[in-house]
Amino acid sequence: MKFVANVDFNGGQLRPLDKSDVDSIIKLYQKQTLAGQSESASREHAERMVELSVQMAATQRGLMWAIEVDGAMMGMLSLYDWQPTSLKTLMRLDVLPGLSQQLQVDALRSGIDYLAQKYHLRNFSFQCLPEGEGAIVDVIKLAGFEQQARLRDFRRISQTEYSDILVFNLILAQSAEGEK
Amino acid sequence: MNWNLDTDHYEVRFAHEEDIPNIYALLSTKGVVKHHPKSPMVVEAQAMDEARRMVMQFEAKEAAFWLVEEKMTGKVIARIRLQKFNWINASGQLVLDIFPEHKDSAKVAEILYAVLTLAYEDLSLHRVEWHLQESDSGSIELASLMGFQHEGQLNSVLEFEGQWIDYQVYSMLNNDENWQRAIKEQGLPKG
Repeated sequence: MKFVANVDFNGGQLRPLDKSDVDSIIKLYQKQTLAGQSESASREHAERMVELSVQMAATQRGLMWAIEVDGAMMGMLSLYDWQPTSLKTLMRLDVLPGLSQQLQVDALRSGIDYLAQKYHLRNFSFQCLPEGEGAIVDVIKLAGFEQQARLRDFRRISQTEYSDILVFNLILAQSAEGEK
Repeated sequence: MNWNLDTDHYEVRFAHEEDIPNIYALLSTKGVVKHHPKSPMVVEAQAMDEARRMVMQFEAKEAAFWLVEEKMTGKVIARIRLQKFNWINASGQLVLDIFPEHKDSAKVAEILYAVLTLAYEDLSLHRVEWHLQESDSGSIELASLMGFQHEGQLNSVLEFEGQWIDYQVYSMLNNDENWQRAIKEQGLPKG
């Protein structure tokens, strides 16, 4: 049974992860991009992520798509803390340097459109570190996200150090009444 | 570790079997639960179930619940809890259920100081959050007075009776100036 759908977008597609993606996943997870995962990926970790991506989607706890452009894996769009009853999820976007900003925005928007249509999700959020994530912040803002909060010392980065987290949010304009 | 706390006017203690009527009295009062949001309890069996959940969540290290008993009268005036412990990030979330007639700054300051002291010193938390609805102006006023800092809003966190609920996020860090001052003065501001 296929739990992660293929979603086309202008210039590429979102598709399920597979074992051939392991090298790309390792490249993608060498920096601390967004909250949710802090460690850099080892081969073992990347292989586990491919397996986990199926389990997460099957139980609607999360989802991981590879962003593929011209046959090459150029990034990942992931869902964490997917709460089907509250129609919301936390997202994460990881990209390799060659993926243009426009393609990142298109991939993100297509993923959101699909999730809204298929699973009726309406509340999408990102958590970003305040420093060094300007490129991702630009992409999610272009996709319609707005900053809602800055959570002080929300994330521990060492035994004694903490980092703030910026919370971005996109709420699709559907009322709870309408969805019923 | 002693989880039962003793303040000048209150015993801030864990619940026991005889507390079912106290829990029911508190959580069947609309003014106590309306901003959480929750429907008031309508039968005492719900309080029994709630008491069981309190024990289970404590045993799973997910939350700790205290009832606040007024020493002079023996009346339980509030329930306070720390929940959503994140032991990696050293954070937790505060929730206060209190009878409206007892929701004043002096009482809340006394109760909160005891629980926050345990949170920061015994549980080694770094960050305590308080999520409040904008309509709960009384609690927002108290949070600000106690030194909690407003950090923004979490949108559409949950649906209740056909409405999407937003939460205002307040927090206090153990190294915040406000908390350090509270330690020095052995209490939170009473207004």
